[in-house]
Amino acid sequence: MAQRSNTSRRKRRPDTNPRKKRRIVYKFKEDEIVDYKDIALLRKFMSDRGKIRSRRVTGLTPRRQREIAIAIKNAREMALLPYTAQRRS
Amino acid sequence: MRSYELMVIHRYDMAEPDVRAAVEEVEKAITDRDGVVKDTDFWGKRRFAYDIEHMTEGYYSVIIFDGDVELQNVLDRSLALLDSVVRHKIIRKDA
Repeated sequence: MAQRSNTSRRKRRPDTNPRKKRRIVYKFKEDEIVDYKDIALLRKFMSDRGKIRSRRVTGLTPRRQREIAIAIKNAREMALLPYTAQRRS
Repeated sequence: MRSYELMVIHRYDMAEPDVRAAVEEVEKAITDRDGVVKDTDFWGKRRFAYDIEHMTEGYYSVIIFDGDVELQNVLDRSLALLDSVVRHKIIRKDA
């Protein structure tokens, strides 16, 4: 998708390609507080294996990414979310 | 006074009335030390996302309360010593 003519040898930086849609869109309200108990929301920012999705993928602001990451870690401690996904069947 | 949220997980092999009593005991411990219990939410039995000490489920309850730092310290310490409590977490709601 969206091949650029690569005459230059520079490595293409995927996160700067505006044509590529990769963002998991979730709009936070201004005064919204990220709650570690809101598992359905936090799951949106995790991979199937249970890893926290990177900022590049989520497209969150630094503040929100930080809040989400902390919330996921808190939820993990209370066994609400997995550290790793269980073995695949 | 600060606003806190406490989550406690009790052992799965307890009877539900016992767990409710245990939660009430925690509430009492809060009020005894000049804390104010704002809200208590008993979730009931819930499956863990992963095994904890060979257990796969536990009783979750959430208590929102106001109290001093001292109260939070006491709660944290005494809950850690209780065998009926698998895990607990105290989060500051403000700040």
